Amino acid sequence: MGIGPSTKETTLHHFRDPLLNVVANDDDIDLVGIIIVGTPQHNEEKDFVGKRTATWLEAMRVDGTIISVDGWGNSHVDYANTIEEIGSRGIPVVGMSFVGTQANFVVKNQYMDTIVDFNKTPAGIETEVVGENTPNYLDAKKALAFLKLKMREAD
Amino acid sequence: MKKEEKLLRRLVIKTYHIEDVELVDQVSIENNRLRISMQSFDKLITKSQQIQKIEVEIIPPNDHNRWTNSIMDIIPISTKVLGKLGEGITHTLTGVYIMLTGIDEAGNQVAEFGSSEGILKEQLYLNRAGTPADEDYIIAVNVTLKEGQGTNRAAIIEAHRICDLFVQEIRDKLKKADGRSFTEKHEFYDKIRPNKKKVAIIKQVAGQGAMYDNQMLPLEPSGFTGGRSIIDLGNVPIILTPNEYRDGALRAMT
Repeated sequence: MGIGPSTKETTLHHFRDPLLNVVANDDDIDLVGIIIVGTPQHNEEKDFVGKRTATWLEAMRVDGTIISVDGWGNSHVDYANTIEEIGSRGIPVVGMSFVGTQANFVVKNQYMDTIVDFNKTPAGIETEVVGENTPNYLDAKKALAFLKLKMREAD
Repeated sequence: MKKEEKLLRRLVIKTYHIEDVELVDQVSIENNRLRISMQSFDKLITKSQQIQKIEVEIIPPNDHNRWTNSIMDIIPISTKVLGKLGEGITHTLTGVYIMLTGIDEAGNQVAEFGSSEGILKEQLYLNRAGTPADEDYIIAVNVTLKEGQGTNRAAIIEAHRICDLFVQEIRDKLKKADGRSFTEKHEFYDKIRPNKKKVAIIKQVAGQGAMYDNQMLPLEPSGFTGGRSIIDLGNVPIILTPNEYRDGALRAMT
């Protein structure tokens, strides 16, 4: 379980990532950096990298964060865990993920109340068409709008 | 309190648009025409333990009614001209992208969690951030691995490495493209915006094995050589500057 062809973010996607452009071009946001975190195999390690990610954010004194995931299924275990670590530290967090009808979260927690689903297919499934279910500008704008709301509520 | 923006680092990306691609016996970029060559592959493959052969095909715009093996990656052709990744000057080609595909000798597609082989126009969704546009050329680099190597992480890494050496020949010409004859020029700054909401972006990426891997901070934008695998780094969070990320710091190996 991991990265299906339709959710696969190619190297070209990373080179011209809509999420980066939307957040970096918003004058009300001070974008401090992009954190890349992996998805290790065992639960102990998943906990470890999730906690380290949240600790980084706390140390950076961020007002909020958007976490986007490449892949689903087993990757959602890491994803839910990292979001919980972030949320439990009182840091506003918004998620972006492929969900559709096929990829409902295998685990969930109270901090996953604002997830932008970037499914693009009517059936909500992994179509095996490269690029189809990947985040675009509208998804990124939605995520940032959610985050601004959450950050305002936290003030 | 300080109010004004503080600029930390500048990155300039100059684009060079390509309108025609030809497979000939030497590499060149002239008058919006890219010429590529396969000659270097012969030597590279002879030394490879995992790769049986490599084919290159030029796919013109709207000519997608053809077979493709499973798509491993779509890669832009970019190169550093001044400075290191994330600052200085980068040249990049538009109108043409590399599509890396893979199969093994026995006919198994190189894929991990669903595969995308089939008729190209049905398997590639055009005009996304991560895919070519209708009017773009695609250079399809198809790697045939030796039997059973499709799930071997070393073989996948080798496929990316050899594809990157092929791209490097184009990069070496692109480095020398006239700095004033670009198609578009974009300037980006890593900056501090005091008193604004501090936000970090987190990208959770794959890091478990063959076709479930990512490399960071290669020597060339969106390249392979010099990159560090997220698996080898223990999957721990690594921070990139916005300019490093937009300068091709992340190479998808999914």
